Amino acid sequence: MLFRIDPTAAEPIFAQLASQVRAQVTLGTLEPGTRLPAARELAASLDVNVHTVLRAYQDLRDEGLVELRRGRGAVVTERAGADFAPLRAAIEAVAAESARLSLSPDTAAALVRESLQRAHHTRRTP
Amino acid sequence: MTTPARSTTRRTITALWTLAVPALVIAGTLAWTSTVRGRLPEPAAVHWGSAGPDRAGGFGELVTIALVLVAVISFAMWALATFLGQAAMTRRLAHAVAAWFAVFMAGVTTTTVAVQLDMADWTEAGNPTTGMVISLAIATTLAAVAAIATPGDAPSPTLVPVPADAARLDLAASESAVWVRSVRQSSPWLLVGSVLVSAVVLALATRNVLLTASFTVLLTVPLLTLTSWVVRVDRSGLTAASRLGWPRQTVPLDEVESATARQVKPLSEFGGWGLRTALDGTTGVVLRKGEGVEVQRTGGRRFVVTVDDAESAAALLNTLADRAR
Repeated sequence: MLFRIDPTAAEPIFAQLASQVRAQVTLGTLEPGTRLPAARELAASLDVNVHTVLRAYQDLRDEGLVELRRGRGAVVTERAGADFAPLRAAIEAVAAESARLSLSPDTAAALVRESLQRAHHTRRTP
Repeated sequence: MTTPARSTTRRTITALWTLAVPALVIAGTLAWTSTVRGRLPEPAAVHWGSAGPDRAGGFGELVTIALVLVAVISFAMWALATFLGQAAMTRRLAHAVAAWFAVFMAGVTTTTVAVQLDMADWTEAGNPTTGMVISLAIATTLAAVAAIATPGDAPSPTLVPVPADAARLDLAASESAVWVRSVRQSSPWLLVGSVLVSAVVLALATRNVLLTASFTVLLTVPLLTLTSWVVRVDRSGLTAASRLGWPRQTVPLDEVESATARQVKPLSEFGGWGLRTALDGTTGVVLRKGEGVEVQRTGGRRFVVTVDDAESAAALLNTLADRAR
C-alpha cells in the first residue's frame, strides 16, 4: 500500500493518512485481515510524529474500518470489506455505464457528486 | 566502483574463511587420525544404523572421503564468494557454509574414529551421537561467527541520475511517500511438512532424540525467517526484512541506479526459494514465483525481491532516488 502526505496542504496530515486507507479499503485494494504498517515505522518513513499516525488509526477504528490490537498494530476488519462490497459494485457499474455512453470521467463524476449532494440534503431535512 | 585495495581485502577475507580455515581443519584432523591409525580395528566401522555399527571399511572411507568432500565444498564456496560475491550477502553465506561444513565433517570424522580406538573388532565401536551433536553446535557457532565477521559492503553512493525512461511516481516536491507490502512464502505448509518428514526420517534412522532434535531446530530456524517478509520503500531506500526483524536487506537511495518491476522465476533463476544468489551474482529474497522488484545497485550489484504491486514500488524508488541525487 502506498501512503503519501503533503505537509503543505490545508488538510491535516492525520486526515490525509486516514482518507487514503479509507479509499483503499473501499476500492478493495486493502483486504480484510491486512495489517497496516506499525505506527512508529510509518511515522519514521514519512518523517511525521507518531501521534499523527496514531490519530489517523484511531479515527479509522472509530469508523469500524480497522481494529487496533496490542502488539499486532492496526488490522483491516472483516466488516470493512463486507460493508463496502455493494458500494464497490455500484461504483464499478457507474464506471462501466459511463464508458458505454462515452461520458468523460469529469462528467460522470459531476453526475455522481450531484446525486450524492442531493442524498445528503434529503437525509438532513426529512 | 570497487577500488582495487578494497577488492583485495575482500578476497583475502574470503580466502581466510573458505581456504585457510578449512585447510587448517583438514590438516589437524588428518594429523590426529594418522597418529592414532594404528589403534583402529582393521577393518574399521564406517557406518552406524539404529542398532550400532552396520558396515565396515578402510581408513580411506572413514577419513579421506570426508576430508576430500570438505576440500571440494570449500573450493566451491571460495569461487562463489570471489567471482560472484559483489554483494556482502553472498560472501556471508559462502563463508558460513565453508566454515560450517569443514568443522562439522572434521567433528564427525574425529568422533567416529574416537569411538572405536583400541577396539578389537569394528562391531564393538561405540555410539558417535554425542560427538556429532557437539560437532553440530561448534560448526553452527563458527558459521555464525564467519557470517558476522564478514564485513558488509562499504557505502558506494552514485551521483549519476536515474535513467529518464525508468518508471516514476507522480509525486509533488512537497509530498513524502512510503510504500509498504508484506509477502508470504507461497506454500508455508510445504515447509512445515518437509521439516516434519525429515524429523521423522532422522528419528527412525538414528533412534536418537538428541540428534533428531538438534537437526530439526537447526533446520527450522532459518526456514522460519523465510516465511513472511515486509518490503518497504521510503526515504531510507528499499528495505526487505523478515517479520522477525532479521535477516534484513537494505538498498540505500544513493546506491539505487534504477529499479524495475519484472516477473521472477525462482527455480530457473535462483535455483530455489529463500535468500539466494543467482549465477550472475544477483542476490534475491525469493519467496514465490511472479511479480518482483529488481534494483540495479552501484558496485555491479543487483538485488531482487518478490512482492506484489512491484510497479508502484519500483516507481516510488526511482522517484525518491532522483531526490537523493
